[in-house]
Amino acid sequence: MGKNKKKKNKSKIPFRLNILFVFIFGLFSLLILQLGVVQILNGEEAQKKIDETESTKAYLSVPRGIMYDRNHKSILENESTLSITYTPPKNGDKPEERLELARKLAQYITMEEDKEELESMVRERDKKEYWYLFNAEEAEDRLTEKEDELDSGEKYQAMLYKITEEDYNEYDWSDSNLLNIVAIKKELDAAREFTPHIIKNENVTEKEYALVSEHLYELEGIDAKIDWNRVSNVEDTFSTFIGNITTTDQGIPRENETYYLTRGYSRNDRVGTSGLEKEYESVLRGQKEVIEFTTNNNDEIIGQKTVVEGKSGDDLVLTVDIELQQAVDKIAQEELEKFYKSNPSENRYMEDALVVMMDPQTGEVLAMSGAHRDRETNEYLDEAHRVIYNNNMPGSTIKGATVLAGLDSGVIRPGEPIYDTPIKIKGTPTMSSWKNMQWINDIQAIEDSSNIYMAQIAIRLAGANYQYGQPLRSFDFDAFQTLRNYYSQFGLGVETGIDLPYESPGIIGSSPLAGNLLYLSFGQYDAYTTLQLAQYVSTIANDGYRVQPHLVKEIRQANGSKETLGPVVESFDTNVLNRVSMKQEYIDRVQQGFRRVVTDGTARSHWSNNPYKVAAKTGTAQNDVYEDGDLKEQTYNLTLVGYAPYDEPEVAFAIVVPRAGTGNDQNGIHHNIGNRIINKYFELKEQRMIEGKTKKTNETEEIEE
Amino acid sequence: MEKNTSPKIDYTLISIVILLAIISIFTLYTLEPYINEAFHIKQLVWYIVGSMVIVAIMFVDYDRLHQIAWILYGFGMLMLVMLHFHFPPGIAHRAGGAWGWFKIGPISIQPAEFMKVILIIALAHLIVMHKEKFKMDTIKNDLWLLAKMAFVSLPPMGFIALQPDLGGFLVLVAIILSMILVSGIQWRIILSLIGTAVVSVGLLIFLFVSFPEKIDQLAEDYGFEHVERRFNAWLDPANNTQGDSYQLIRAMRAIGSGQLSGKGIGEFEVSHIPERQTDFIFSAIAEQFGFIGSSALLILFFLLIYRLIHIGLQSNDPFGSYLVTGMVGMFTYQIFQNIGMSINLLPITGLPLPFIGYGGSSTLTYLIAIGIVLNIHYRTKVYMFDS
Repeated sequence: MGKNKKKKNKSKIPFRLNILFVFIFGLFSLLILQLGVVQILNGEEAQKKIDETESTKAYLSVPRGIMYDRNHKSILENESTLSITYTPPKNGDKPEERLELARKLAQYITMEEDKEELESMVRERDKKEYWYLFNAEEAEDRLTEKEDELDSGEKYQAMLYKITEEDYNEYDWSDSNLLNIVAIKKELDAAREFTPHIIKNENVTEKEYALVSEHLYELEGIDAKIDWNRVSNVEDTFSTFIGNITTTDQGIPRENETYYLTRGYSRNDRVGTSGLEKEYESVLRGQKEVIEFTTNNNDEIIGQKTVVEGKSGDDLVLTVDIELQQAVDKIAQEELEKFYKSNPSENRYMEDALVVMMDPQTGEVLAMSGAHRDRETNEYLDEAHRVIYNNNMPGSTIKGATVLAGLDSGVIRPGEPIYDTPIKIKGTPTMSSWKNMQWINDIQAIEDSSNIYMAQIAIRLAGANYQYGQPLRSFDFDAFQTLRNYYSQFGLGVETGIDLPYESPGIIGSSPLAGNLLYLSFGQYDAYTTLQLAQYVSTIANDGYRVQPHLVKEIRQANGSKETLGPVVESFDTNVLNRVSMKQEYIDRVQQGFRRVVTDGTARSHWSNNPYKVAAKTGTAQNDVYEDGDLKEQTYNLTLVGYAPYDEPEVAFAIVVPRAGTGNDQNGIHHNIGNRIINKYFELKEQRMIEGKTKKTNETEEIEE
Repeated sequence: MEKNTSPKIDYTLISIVILLAIISIFTLYTLEPYINEAFHIKQLVWYIVGSMVIVAIMFVDYDRLHQIAWILYGFGMLMLVMLHFHFPPGIAHRAGGAWGWFKIGPISIQPAEFMKVILIIALAHLIVMHKEKFKMDTIKNDLWLLAKMAFVSLPPMGFIALQPDLGGFLVLVAIILSMILVSGIQWRIILSLIGTAVVSVGLLIFLFVSFPEKIDQLAEDYGFEHVERRFNAWLDPANNTQGDSYQLIRAMRAIGSGQLSGKGIGEFEVSHIPERQTDFIFSAIAEQFGFIGSSALLILFFLLIYRLIHIGLQSNDPFGSYLVTGMVGMFTYQIFQNIGMSINLLPITGLPLPFIGYGGSSTLTYLIAIGIVLNIHYRTKVYMFDS
């Protein structure tokens, strides 16, 4: 019986094995069948897929245009850098994935060639973290129950703390490859989701750049980029007006996204956000090169063609003389400091010395400086933007415009004498000139700076009857508009039109008190920017032609060289905005008045030693400091406008020092600045003429040889 | 009953294995320019080592395996347990997300590979012991055998699944199923087992298709994301172009474009497929030699299996037959799974193609298996009247 059973048992094996064999036969048949489908039925399709090529467009940035000063001295350049970046996906890659990525990257880039340097990059913590990656469970086991309950961040710290030197020395830390991997991983760890993080951007070699670019398909999140930085050759000089551009990370400004995208920008393009960089963005950016790459099924590049020829951004030649600019910056700061220190208590509200120099005939801005004293730290800073942003009451400097308004409207005749004596209108304080000048004419009124003469013009413009101590009767309030219209012909209270993204148009007073018209007439009511004052005096210097001030002289094609300039693309000539409505003879009178201010009038003592034929007008506007309605300090805006040489003006200037502690002309910071900048201007001019001559002579000699 | 006791060496089986070795080394050689590593040299070394092991095995009667079955099993389990606890640190090694290796210097050992053969030996021993003790083929006895087999199989399966190594796990399943079949367990039990398996797999697929997100979450919670990811890649390669799908899409292009007769020796148009020297080596053969070449390889494999089954049938010692059956299960599943995944018949699981794909532990394991089979054939006693 038992024997039979055993036999039966045994005989089962061959039968079952045969069943297994049949089943296996079935499986193999299935394989061959599917193989037939894949290779014979769909083979051609697969071959087609392999032969398929893919084309990808690459947009290559072109260098942004650079900037030169009027003498072709390079101010702003580009410095190019290669960089390797990592952009983690949403929620980031897992640590293991980052390690894997670091491993791959380590085949192509070296964080640091020098081994000692590399060793110093990998710290103990990095080694511990590396060990942890492979021994997470063990590290967790080492925690006490209490530590186990910590939140994940603290728990991780606790685990790292318990990793010993012995632990992490399981790995060979003398191996540069391992060090390199860990150094790369450290950078990968520091990245945040969706934000490109720079892994390496110093000393990236061409080879590393090429290797990474070639293997991007297996390096998810990694990118190889060419980047560049703006580099100034003149430190911070004029930087406010040159302006800024965004970084690649910032890209195009969010608020104007559509504007930029429709103009062919991509999101991470760098654009000018202020100053000339913004104003001339379309000139400076150039045209991106578009290359179409064809890749085969192995992602190897098999062809490329340029779809759009790239064109570097055009360069700007500025009107500014950078050497003069540097000198004026220095003068303004020195004088501000000197004047402040002469009486720190009295001058404690004095913060700025603002200067504009321009060519009155062409509108070319030669220099714009704003020295600023920080009242908290007592540091001196370059805040040149205040020249176009800050509005200050100009005081008597605008009297030229008031006299011209009087003459043009016919309320005074040329040379008409008016009796200078204090004016008292009911309800307003008594007005007077700095001295009672008695009978004076228009030119004398400018020369000696009579407030009363101006006030009388204003009263006449308003058609009012004035009697001492009485209110003004039959006052025509349209006179405010009339007088301001005259002023605006000189650029006062309207934009000057300078080629910058923003400038202040000045502050127009809104109180309709009749007395304010009188204040307005001698510069104690509306407030203007320093640039507006410069445009005003230029208009007078330029026989009534108001020109647009501008910072860019020429646009030139980039030629890749810093030393020489490319051909001129566009040249900005004089742009006359308007001719004032006054007759030339009237303007001549004001010019004479301005000249006499320097020779015989209010500015005589300060300018008697100046060798250049300067015409100018001083101004002192009371600008008291109130805090919570209490008078804190009597301060004055010290102003000076002028031009030189008187006969053939080539430089005009405006100087404003708000809130000086004293209005006394004897202590004139503005005169000191004025003297020094005019001297510097002519000094540089002479120097350049000599240099130019020697240069020419040299050139001729060379040719002769 | 007269015995023919003269030992026989199965030259057919040896020839097949030598042919496979040549194909393996040659293919690895053609791949060298694309993977920049001389795997063919290393593979040759492993074949030489393996041959020496086979010779050594031939000296000992396989019947001795009865004596050391549990020792081997204990040793294999010890290695798996050590791996599970990443012990000893610095030697236990992780690669491709799985803790599956001991790494000593340049040599890495994959215990899961050896465990395949060890489990075959243990199960064969177990079945023989059971049959000797319980001579009756009753349902009760069969269930008892099944329980014992489960008791022995589940621990290694568990540890390998936890590494996680889905491929290795499934090979063990294939081994166990084939051995259950041949152990003579009654059909009604086998059929109900198959029924249960079909229903549960069907249910799993249904769940996967109906509630992909929940399955996602579950897989993530239990550390089986890779299984789920591969399943996805298999279902829809075009929409999963990263990682596994990338591998699959490129392998399919390589294999497909081989078409009928292939592109010729060393002519590769798909230059980069991850793991092409191991798991995806079939794509290299199919691209170079087309349908003709790859079918020839399949036929060679089939001949190998046929030869193994032949030896199993010839052996009149049940222990030998069971051992051979286990080997058949192991090889068949690996071949079917590996080639099947290359041609999108099955989802991707990390398994090398036996004898062809590069791998130290795996090649050595398969050669040991062949050694045991040769040994069985060598010592098979042919009863004149039986045949």
